[in-house]
Amino acid sequence: MKKGLHALFIMMAFVLVLAGCGKNATTTEPSKNTNLGSAPAEESAGPVTVQHKRGELTLDKPAKRVVTLEWTYTEDVVALGVQPIGNADNTYYKVYVTNEAALDDSVTDVGSRSEPNIEAIAALKPDLIIANADNNSNVYDQLKAIAPTLEFDPYDGDGYNYDKMTTIFNTIATALGKEDKAKEVLSNLDQHYAEAKEKLAAAGKENFHFVLTQAFTYQNAASLRMFSDNSVVAGTLNKIGLVNDWQPDKLENYGFSTVGIESLSKVQDSNFIYITQPDDDVFGTAMKENSVWKGLNFVKEKRTYQLGSTTWTFGGPISSKVLVDGVVEAISK
Amino acid sequence: MSLTQQETKPAMNWRMISIYGGGLTALIVLFFVSLCYGEAAISLHDVWGALTNRQGTLEHNMVWDLRMPRTVIGILAGGALAVAGALLQTITRNPLAASDTLGINAGAYFVVVLGAILFPSILSQSPFLFAAMGGLVAAFAAYFMGGGRTSTPVRLALSGMIVSMVLGSFTSALHIFFSMETQGLFLWGSGTLVQNDWTGVSYVWPWVTGVTLLALILSKQWDMLELDESTASSLGQKVGLARTSGLIIAVILAAVIVSVIGPIGFVGLVAPHLVRLSGVRSNRLLIPGVFIWGAALLVGADVLAKMIHNSSMELPTGAVMAIIGAPWLIWLVLTRMKAGNGAGMTTSMSTGGRVRRFAFTPIAILFSAITILLLLLSTMFGGMRIPLADLLPSLFQSDGLFSGIVQLRIPRTLVAAGAGAALAISGVLIQMAVRNPLADASIVGVSSGAGLGAMMVFILWPGLPMYVLPVAAIAGAAIAAAVVFSLSWKKGLNPSAVVLLGIAMSAIAGAGIQILIVRGAVYGSSGYIWLTGSTYARTWDQVKVIGIFLLILVPVAWWLARKFELLVFDDNSASGLGVNVRRTRLMAMTVGVLLAAGAVACVGTVGFIGLIAPHMVRLLTGHKLRQSMFLSALAGAMMLVLADTVGRTVMAPTEIPSGILIAIIGTPYFLYLMYRSNWRKAMK
Repeated sequence: MKKGLHALFIMMAFVLVLAGCGKNATTTEPSKNTNLGSAPAEESAGPVTVQHKRGELTLDKPAKRVVTLEWTYTEDVVALGVQPIGNADNTYYKVYVTNEAALDDSVTDVGSRSEPNIEAIAALKPDLIIANADNNSNVYDQLKAIAPTLEFDPYDGDGYNYDKMTTIFNTIATALGKEDKAKEVLSNLDQHYAEAKEKLAAAGKENFHFVLTQAFTYQNAASLRMFSDNSVVAGTLNKIGLVNDWQPDKLENYGFSTVGIESLSKVQDSNFIYITQPDDDVFGTAMKENSVWKGLNFVKEKRTYQLGSTTWTFGGPISSKVLVDGVVEAISK
Repeated sequence: MSLTQQETKPAMNWRMISIYGGGLTALIVLFFVSLCYGEAAISLHDVWGALTNRQGTLEHNMVWDLRMPRTVIGILAGGALAVAGALLQTITRNPLAASDTLGINAGAYFVVVLGAILFPSILSQSPFLFAAMGGLVAAFAAYFMGGGRTSTPVRLALSGMIVSMVLGSFTSALHIFFSMETQGLFLWGSGTLVQNDWTGVSYVWPWVTGVTLLALILSKQWDMLELDESTASSLGQKVGLARTSGLIIAVILAAVIVSVIGPIGFVGLVAPHLVRLSGVRSNRLLIPGVFIWGAALLVGADVLAKMIHNSSMELPTGAVMAIIGAPWLIWLVLTRMKAGNGAGMTTSMSTGGRVRRFAFTPIAILFSAITILLLLLSTMFGGMRIPLADLLPSLFQSDGLFSGIVQLRIPRTLVAAGAGAALAISGVLIQMAVRNPLADASIVGVSSGAGLGAMMVFILWPGLPMYVLPVAAIAGAAIAAAVVFSLSWKKGLNPSAVVLLGIAMSAIAGAGIQILIVRGAVYGSSGYIWLTGSTYARTWDQVKVIGIFLLILVPVAWWLARKFELLVFDDNSASGLGVNVRRTRLMAMTVGVLLAAGAVACVGTVGFIGLIAPHMVRLLTGHKLRQSMFLSALAGAMMLVLADTVGRTVMAPTEIPSGILIAIIGTPYFLYLMYRSNWRKAMK
């Protein structure tokens, strides 16, 4: 609970920034094409058709002015070398998502992810909106009235697993006319996995067993999201030959089970990889005198590994790369 | 209540044995069962081994350092809340008093959450001080709003519930604005007993045991409060002292618990009643018995919570406790309350307004003008501001500069106006029917029923199309109200019975909502915002829904108004005037409930408008139902349109849910109103 004051400052800064944005929106006509950095030559110019939750969507030409309402898609767009013109909740995007997928200052904040500001989106005059079914399905019709809208539901079916991640990434790439770039990104990623595997082999860590958790304090007690194989993070680590030991009886749609530290006894022989926020040191001082924590084999044998706090666990290709880098560095020390 | 201690000794002893013996047995059994349940599979044999012969194994450590603290904190919390409840019941001479019904839990919790955001360093050292302060203020507010010493049990329970509602919506506001900071606090504000280690217990136990012992030592002095008022007051100052010490002890106990495990209701209500059933009256015997039963109840609830636990999240113990406790309240009402004609229900419709009465026509014109002005202004402000010069062309032409945006705003504003009006009229009707100025649709369980219905659609069947949502909300509201009405039918729809059953119903539905939120896990946030009342992104679809409700129900209410007006008199005089009181009351409540259900289906559970708008109007003008319906409707529309406009403007592009703004705007007014009504009464 030590994070309040810090957060208050962020909040105040946030409000100021937003106030600024609001004013800009009233006075300036949206400027044209300030966003794109890549060469137009490689882009296809004709109509593009993509599949999404609501069926088929055809755009007359690839989209250039994109508004993203969930960070996963924001990151996908950034990975394609495009800055969105609008994104939901820029402030916490910076807190949770790696700065390898950083947003420019030019990106307008359009409000919270759960209730993005429809008017602010309309004012940006986008030519594509990418929405998340979980939060935005009730405003789909309104979004569609503003601009063609792609809606994804990452958590239906098997959840947001690795294949789903690449499917959504490729779909977005098609809509933006960036299919070549997407191929390049994914093949670079595969290359990166191969190199990571070599590094692990060199360190003698191939077929390394792990459990991965994102943990936070819930009412003074540790609450752990343990990622199962239907999550993109576990899928990514499988790609570099690691083996997930968290195998629950029932796979949750979000790709993780939420448990307390008691459940760690089931996987105490595995290796414990964790992500926590800097102001919420779940496994630090609070656990120092905890007999259960100290009694777990991976704690006794010092097999716990911390990753950076901006390792976004529901991300796209960039997050996967950052995760691999973080894990390789942590475990081959 | 008369003193009945001079009973025959054997009967008394037998009762003592059943209370203490039964309670202790239950507690010991539950204690052991509670140690056996948890996330890891630990065999019975291992649990027993851990208890009798602790080795340093992981299993034994889990039993001792994870499960044991959780169970022990359950015992301490249950006991403390039960003792607090028993004391509050004694000192207010009110069987419905408890730290949750008096708003103490909500007050303490609100201040803890606020403290976590503003003064995290102080809070981590002494959360108790914050909690105690909040609890005390809330208790006083509820007590004085409820009419102080002259209050009836129901009125006190109502004002406590309103204080809880106000503070609850403040707390939700904090949760929404500071979601990243507060998500760690508690499971959406309902208590849970999860413990990492013994720190919680070591913080709580000196307070709980010390203060409970103090209560035992002082117990004799509270016995005189059970005497009737005249005898007690002849004892003079001692009574005041006894009351004050009792209140302070109760608040300390509740605040300590809330600052560690969050607000948990119903323990303080159920446990003392259970023990009192045996006929125990003297506080010296009551307090230990109540402690044991409170502990057993809460540990039992926690065992159930752990059994229902699934791999996605834990069920809050507070929700389980509500599901156990609320039926008890229903049973209490059904068996203990005399069927009847509302005798003894002396609440007055007056809120002391008779200062100045204005003629109806000028006020009606003024209100209409303000409403229209607000509607226009509302289309100017939002995520972007439209200059006045551009507004009119954009409003009336489809190709104006801002036509697109205005098209987004118009339906939203109209929904706000319609829902506000519906809620206000509903408030007028329900206050009239239950003859209590503190009632509105949420009191008879409509809001939580609607919320539960909608949440089910949100979370259990997320694939269903969105238009099912209002249908589900209306169905939920209708079912909740129907249950309340049918249970209280035998009581002649007696206002007190309706209100109490409504509170119980709300608690059950509220617990259901919490269970669904927990099941739906982390990302159901838009559902949560919907529950706090939101005019976000409403379209012509909702305008149609609320329009249909208003077009059908308002004429009905208008037509029946003459009949409804007679409900203001007490039941005997009303039937003397030839009214079938029960049927008329049912009609008024049905129309009120349906209107509120329509509003909830469109904008979520916006509170307070149904409470405040009718008050405001009553203050300005007379009691004529048609007039007050008209003016209240306009007042309600103004309030919600204003809240909608402000909410989408001040923090743009982030939106503030209208329900929260209404609570923030409405609370001071409401407190003022309550203060004033009691102050005037005291002057008379």
